[in-house]
Amino acid sequence: MKLLNFILGRLFVYVMVLVVGMTILFFVPRFAPTDPVDAMLAKVASQSGYMEAAQVDALRASLADTFGLQGSMIDQYGAFLKRIFLTADFGPSLSMYPTPVTELIARALPWTFGLLFTATIIAWVLGNFVGLLAGWRPESNPARVMEGIAICLYPVPYYIVALILSVLFSYVWSIFPLTTTIRGAPWSWDLIRSILWNSFLPAASIVITVFGWWIISVKAQTTALKEEEFIRYARLKGLSDTRLLTRYVLPNAILPQITFLALQIGLMFNGSLITEIIFDYPGLGLLIYSAVLQGDYNLLMGTISLSIVAVATATMIIDFLYPLVDPRIRHG
Amino acid sequence: MLTAITGKYGGGYRLTLTAALMAGVAASATLAQEMTDVGTPRNETLIVDMLNARVGNPTNMNSYQQGVTINHGYHQMAASLLWDIDTAGGSQIPVLAASMPEALNDDFTRFRVPLREGITWSDGEPFTADDVIFTDGMIRGTDALAYSAAYRNVIASMTKVDDHTIEIETTRPTPRLSVVLGSVIYGNNFYVVPQHVWEGEDPATFTNFPPVTISAYKYSDHDPNGSWFLWEKRDDWQNTDIGQMIGEPEPDYVLFRSYGTEERRVLAMANDEMDILTDISPESLDILKGQNENVRAWFTDFPYANLDDPCERGMHFNNAVAPYDMWQTRWALALAINLEQASIATFSGMMRASPLAIPPTEVLMNTYHEPMTEWLKSFELGDGYKPFDPDYAVRLADRLRAEGIENIPEDPAAARELFGVGWWKHDPEQATKLLLDAGFTKDGDTWLKPDGTPWEITIFAPADFEVQSQRLAFAVANEWSRFGIPTQVQQMQAGAFFTAENAGNYEVGSYWGSSCGIIPDVFVRMEGWHKDYVRPIGTPASSNQARYVDDELSGYIDTLREIPADDPQIVEVGTNILKELVQGLPAIEMFGTSKFVPVNETYWTNYPSAENYYEGPWWWWSNFKFIAAQLKPQE
Repeated sequence: MKLLNFILGRLFVYVMVLVVGMTILFFVPRFAPTDPVDAMLAKVASQSGYMEAAQVDALRASLADTFGLQGSMIDQYGAFLKRIFLTADFGPSLSMYPTPVTELIARALPWTFGLLFTATIIAWVLGNFVGLLAGWRPESNPARVMEGIAICLYPVPYYIVALILSVLFSYVWSIFPLTTTIRGAPWSWDLIRSILWNSFLPAASIVITVFGWWIISVKAQTTALKEEEFIRYARLKGLSDTRLLTRYVLPNAILPQITFLALQIGLMFNGSLITEIIFDYPGLGLLIYSAVLQGDYNLLMGTISLSIVAVATATMIIDFLYPLVDPRIRHG
Repeated sequence: MLTAITGKYGGGYRLTLTAALMAGVAASATLAQEMTDVGTPRNETLIVDMLNARVGNPTNMNSYQQGVTINHGYHQMAASLLWDIDTAGGSQIPVLAASMPEALNDDFTRFRVPLREGITWSDGEPFTADDVIFTDGMIRGTDALAYSAAYRNVIASMTKVDDHTIEIETTRPTPRLSVVLGSVIYGNNFYVVPQHVWEGEDPATFTNFPPVTISAYKYSDHDPNGSWFLWEKRDDWQNTDIGQMIGEPEPDYVLFRSYGTEERRVLAMANDEMDILTDISPESLDILKGQNENVRAWFTDFPYANLDDPCERGMHFNNAVAPYDMWQTRWALALAINLEQASIATFSGMMRASPLAIPPTEVLMNTYHEPMTEWLKSFELGDGYKPFDPDYAVRLADRLRAEGIENIPEDPAAARELFGVGWWKHDPEQATKLLLDAGFTKDGDTWLKPDGTPWEITIFAPADFEVQSQRLAFAVANEWSRFGIPTQVQQMQAGAFFTAENAGNYEVGSYWGSSCGIIPDVFVRMEGWHKDYVRPIGTPASSNQARYVDDELSGYIDTLREIPADDPQIVEVGTNILKELVQGLPAIEMFGTSKFVPVNETYWTNYPSAENYYEGPWWWWSNFKFIAAQLKPQE
């Protein structure tokens, strides 16, 4: 019963987070100075010649109707919530009308997910591994070198790292492509190779700038844990270093890292923005950027709601999984 | 492993191995350069920068749907208009039409248009009058197309006379039918579609993909993520407009592609992965020229940029908002600007000044700026003050020469040709007098508006696009702040920027849309200054976003509406319009647009340039097909 209450309570919070998030998402772009109907009107007018006032008004009404922007804001809000929660339909993109927003997101999502998920996991594994060793054996030379590199790179702005990587490896040595050009038949080796080839630099830029933080945080945990009484006791019992590290230090040091990892994965849709702009990578970040530039409400709501759902879901999953990895919570 | 090998065989082996690796990398790099990364021979492929970055809906090429992008090669290489623009000559030319429209009555409401014969679509079907008539009916009969209402407003009907002749009736006198249905600047909405493909389709939802094309190139391939589009020369190129008008185009493929940020676009050209770039900054051009000796700009020396863009830059006012509704305010702000300083701060002096509301292109300078110079010299404000400064160009030339810039002309006439016929004096005293006369006051160093509130100015400027207008806004803000009016720049993304202009939700903006022209017939943009288009603030306007009402000006525009583009009165009426705009100064026109649009001669030559001026460098316009067809492979 207690477990059921916990699950129901957590689900209620989850739904509320989504409703509040979607509500903010609906209203914020509407208070922005961009009106997609007027933006489209300007585009049409620039190529259609001069339009009389009545024509402008008629076209404006027609565009508002086409884009689903007729009616009061409350009417639109009601229709929006109904569409989102019942059919997950964000309507057509206003800047790429009539392409549905879901189609644009479905096309971009695998790229962002593939790139950022992979890079985040690599950075997490690498950072925790090096940080653990650096904390456990601070005198170890390889660990010190890795830690030194990471600490030097960590404060460098991401944009600079990405640009330097591009100039060095895409221009000076021309090893990787300057822009993402994916080619190959579906599910072919050529396609996989093309994706890996094109994704290497963007992924490397993320790993380089992120893994330093993992090193620093897990090293601090490990250094503190080394002085804990249960570790000293285990050492006095004569346990090997490997056993101490894997069975006593790692499970304790890794707990907060798992929480952060989950949040990081949830937030990766936002983090994709700069990476994708710099590397011209065809994911959600570029889509969000384009939606902001064009005042494309529907696309903006579609892409950002994905981020809201991802963060809320990741947090909920972590809440459900935490008892499995932390006996203190399980027994508490 | 490597350590073991090198340890065993010593440094000599290591050196050999390194050399072999480097040779391998170099060889693979050379091989990679012979083919493009989309699988076409590099020396047979012309690679062009895409104007609007990636295309979100790459498999929709129905140009009639709002939201569909077509400047990824479709409108430059694959589609054609009835009439297009000869940018060097400053006149329209027939393309799918065989000649300019022939008026059948005196009030310009009925026209006969012969169509070019011997043209086929890329699937082999002939192009005939039926296609044009079908296109007319499709637009007319589909309310869901945004273009439909504007089209019906002018075009009453189209009828077929024979397979290659049509007659067009208009709803009102339309002496410029070729402007309504053809390109003057950038393009036009009226693209004839193949009846045999579109018949039975709903044009509001039909994606037109892959498109059946009418010009010399056909669709070949594209990136599903919209970063590149490959167009291939048609085997039957003889049966196209280009084949008939110019001959066989040399590039077998034209690849339109996006590299994203300016840094990447520049690196791509430096790396010979790009032949033609759209706008970059002068600083990027400088870097690019240092990295690749085959890169060239429009001029080989200062000012490098092409100065013939059809829209000029300046500060535009919302004339319906106080205190900008008074001519004294606008003139005072003009006289508060030191143009030399603004020019150097914006593009290091690489700009041509214009006091008129029409760009200082070669054709228009000869038609308007030069002939109007004497009038400008004698022009007086209400109090008898003569604001024109004919020596601006000479002074700027002296200053740039003193700063060590090479190839600045010493001859005053040549300096005026380069930097413009002149501009308004920098005269803070006269500016102060005008403001005080208009009811402004000064409280210490603070200017107070006639209503007694402190005067501060916010200039709306484009963010991350249209770099000249963006920088100009900062340069002018600096000048006005020096004069004593605290001025700030608010940078805005495109959507917000143009929404504010259309709805009139701005006071001063670094806009340009109403200051365009390319042919001596100034109707194309001057029509937009008519008072008919003024809308209340908050209501979008399709033209006259400056909300400027001038009865005399509107009268001249009425006259212009009634005469055809080749009428002898055109220049006289155009001159009167420009004089009226100088007197009222609804916008402070400042400079023609300097376009830094470099080309790479590693694979292709005979690009248009200042010495080889057969077209302007507008790679994103519909007439780009005429440039691509005249390029030659590098020997």
